[in-house]
Amino acid sequence: MIDDDDFLERLRDEARQLRFEPDDMMTTRIAARVRERIAVDSQTGIALVLARWFRPVVASLATLALVAALGVQWLEQSREVSATTLDALTSTQSVDISVGGDTFSVE
Amino acid sequence: MDATSMFGGAASGSLALDRLVFAAERAQTRSAANEDPIEVRAIAAVKAGDAGSYDYLVSKYMKRVVSIAWGIVRNAADAEDLAQEAFVKAFENVGRFKTGEPFGPWIYRIVTNVALDVMKHRKRFRHEEITDAAPAARRDRADLPAIANELARRIDHGIESLPEMQRIVARLYLVEEFGHSEIAKMTGLSEGTVRSHLSLARGKLKERLADLHGGSND
Repeated sequence: MIDDDDFLERLRDEARQLRFEPDDMMTTRIAARVRERIAVDSQTGIALVLARWFRPVVASLATLALVAALGVQWLEQSREVSATTLDALTSTQSVDISVGGDTFSVE
Repeated sequence: MDATSMFGGAASGSLALDRLVFAAERAQTRSAANEDPIEVRAIAAVKAGDAGSYDYLVSKYMKRVVSIAWGIVRNAADAEDLAQEAFVKAFENVGRFKTGEPFGPWIYRIVTNVALDVMKHRKRFRHEEITDAAPAARRDRADLPAIANELARRIDHGIESLPEMQRIVARLYLVEEFGHSEIAKMTGLSEGTVRSHLSLARGKLKERLADLHGGSND
């Protein structure tokens, strides 16, 4: 009588020869393709790392530069406005001074 | 003696043996450590960014990886592509590989997964060709290795006539000689499911190979 495990063990002994044996051409081809693909992957990997780190840094710097430029422009603009207002006030308005019934106008 | 009486009634006796094998496999899995110092160094180098060291791992596991893939897809061209894909995937994810563990089980699991994905894809697009009634017909018979004897040919035919998952599990167990727990890890099935597939496969193979194994133990 043959039991279940004996049966499988016997099959295993015979089935070992059913393994697929790739020939030298195939193994060489696979090794070459793997080598080629991982070389490309390595380069892509470096590019990805650079992109991952540099993109946010560049974006932050660009934002800072934009904010600074806008700030400087706004400051200059507001300085120009106050200077113009002062000029306008001083140039157009005259001051009337009354002394002993006479009125003098000072510009 | 007929085939039924030769093969029947051994199930209870084999249960205890199954448990012992299971315990031994578990102990083996727990204590699995990489005993190949060159492999350990190669993995460390690859992790450190030396892609050239990966050659050692590719050449060491190449034949087995191709054989596993071929056993699942039964086509040499597909097996070649799958082996290539598995090695590239392993390289891309080498950072996740635990240092000190053998590379073999990991790459075997990857190649099994990519091969099973191909089978799912085939099933989706060529469903009419994959039926349990004639699963061998769709396969590339020209890729079959030269089989030395009649018994091996009958075993191959028997395995190929099994339903998909039983066929894959039976092949990994019988031809590639993996244990239950290894097959479970490779296929993503539970050990119980692997045992169940194997038990069903065993029953069918016993029926189909009754004339070959029947009288040999008398």
